[in-house]
Amino acid sequence: MLRDELRQILEKGLRDVEADWTVPAAIINDPEMHDAERERVFGRSWVFLAHESEIPERGDYVVRYISEDQFIVCRDEDGEVRGHLNSCRHRGMQVCRAEMGNASHFRCPYHGWTYNNKGSLVGVPAGREAYGNKLDKSLWQLKPVPKLGTYKGLVFGCLDPDAPSLDDYLGDMKFYLDIVLDRSDAGLQVVGAPQRWVVDANWKLGADNFIGDAYHTMMTHRSMVELGLAPPDPKFALYGEHVHTEHGHGLGIIGPPPGIPLPEFLGMPENIVEQLQRRLSPEQVEVFRPVAFIHGTVFPNLSIGNFLMSKDHVSPPTSFLTLRLWHPIGPDKMEIMSFFLVEKEAPDWYKEESYQAYVRTFGISGAFEQDDAENWRSITRVLGAQYAKKMELNYQMGRGVYEPDPDWPGPGKAFPMDYAEANQRNFMEYWMQLMVTDPASHTGNGKVSDEAAAEALARAEA
Amino acid sequence: MTTATEITDATVREVTEWLFGEAELLDTGKYREWLDLVAEDLSYVVPLRVTREREADTDIVEGMTLMDDDWDSMEMRVLRLETEYAWAEDPPSRSRHFVTNIRVAAGEAEDELAVKSNLLLYRTRGDVATFDILSGERHDVLRRVAGGYRLAKRVVVLDQTTVMTHNLALIM
Ligand code: FES
Ligand SMILES: [Fe+2]
Repeated sequence: MLRDELRQILEKGLRDVEADWTVPAAIINDPEMHDAERERVFGRSWVFLAHESEIPERGDYVVRYISEDQFIVCRDEDGEVRGHLNSCRHRGMQVCRAEMGNASHFRCPYHGWTYNNKGSLVGVPAGREAYGNKLDKSLWQLKPVPKLGTYKGLVFGCLDPDAPSLDDYLGDMKFYLDIVLDRSDAGLQVVGAPQRWVVDANWKLGADNFIGDAYHTMMTHRSMVELGLAPPDPKFALYGEHVHTEHGHGLGIIGPPPGIPLPEFLGMPENIVEQLQRRLSPEQVEVFRPVAFIHGTVFPNLSIGNFLMSKDHVSPPTSFLTLRLWHPIGPDKMEIMSFFLVEKEAPDWYKEESYQAYVRTFGISGAFEQDDAENWRSITRVLGAQYAKKMELNYQMGRGVYEPDPDWPGPGKAFPMDYAEANQRNFMEYWMQLMVTDPASHTGNGKVSDEAAAEALARAEA
Repeated sequence: MTTATEITDATVREVTEWLFGEAELLDTGKYREWLDLVAEDLSYVVPLRVTREREADTDIVEGMTLMDDDWDSMEMRVLRLETEYAWAEDPPSRSRHFVTNIRVAAGEAEDELAVKSNLLLYRTRGDVATFDILSGERHDVLRRVAGGYRLAKRVVVLDQTTVMTHNLALIM
């Protein structure tokens, strides 16, 4: 149950985000919020686990997380992608203790129960002596992730068996995901493995930043403008569209600053541009043509960055694609997993340039991204304190400045400028709706359906 | 190609002093001076490691790294610190490079040495009473030039797979 005080903060927050365009600071770094968030947000949402290209062969696996639960995401002997809870059904031991690899079976190191990569229990040592051969192995397979879904190579899991389908959950966001994920016939490849590192910051700050915060680039990333890694206009991220959809998703699509010519289609190689024009709809092609930067978040914690950036101060820009997971490990701590992806059919020169642009500007050592972690750490520390928590945070950018863009060819609610906070409000509103919606055992309704969320909002407004 | 370069005590002492001097430059923020110690064909790589089973050939990931710099990108990092906007290191971290277990061997080229060392890097920022520690092994190639050595290659193999610092903004 939510404590009354938390509920009041959240219900007031829901009213304020609509009426005043503010968000309660208390949602950022608070242990009770974090506890509630585990079940109410991460227990119900579709959470990114892996990209299919990470497990191309039968038996390939990676270990990934939904909140604290860890899952073996593998391709089984029949080529099907599966997610098994990494916990033995006997005493709960991890049956897989590597981060990635290839295995037909997972053998528990404690007493040796052995599971195949479909999750079935196939071996119990001394089964005759210890269990009189009466243990019904079919009842003791590894727990599957309750829901597993794939969209254009992205594998998601969901702990709520009554959740809407992944397709419905992604909804209109798919139009934009396609532009990033579906440009080529053979699809994307995660190169190597994700970088993993820990930042003393709440995960929502990463999600909020990527979903719509073009505004911070002017100050936070000014060094990149000064050095010429980003376009020579400190307001380079203003010139774009700011779009969000239902279920808290959103993104910004930024073109070149006025008077600064940049290549079309993120300067991608010719063969990929040829393929994407064939694969994507005319509207998607129109949206993608002028793009120099795409940043977005799939609720809750998967972000996308597709950027045109130079690898140093003397080289021309190259585009790269990164996915990052803001994995919560406490109210004031997250692990970042940063993935680099490239079209399998891109020429080698592009793969190499794209990798270099990515690794030098983004990720743990990236000269561009470094400054973000500094901000998020500092915010998290400050907002963990009792007086600071009582603040409202200002999400009022664009208020009375511009209206939704009627001419935008894509779905969702679009605004004609990326210095905006509509996506961030939409994210926070959906997050707060999930937070005030009681789980099945309290309401008799296991679904966080749109109706339940609307009911919660109505209650909050009453 | 291995040459018969003899590794004398004097060479070991020179290399040790070079590494200690380098650590001092890095811990006192003298990055410009540090760049002067770096060869123009620098390769500076921090590999990405993952937890693998013992039977795996290596735990180093192919195709992805934590850091992969050349001279230009290193100069870019130094130039960045000289702007007013390098927030990640302004105010600067206080750092300490502890360099031990120095092993000097002949390099692949006649004028090069292959130097291994262990690194413990302590880092603390702001007034928070916490710190980060990075531990790893450095594999350097030092090239002999008039009046000393230049760093031609460095591979820093960190011991953590999930790295416990919020960014690799410091040179290791
Ligand atoms: S805990 Fe796995 S076999 Fe006992
Ligand atoms: Fe940023």
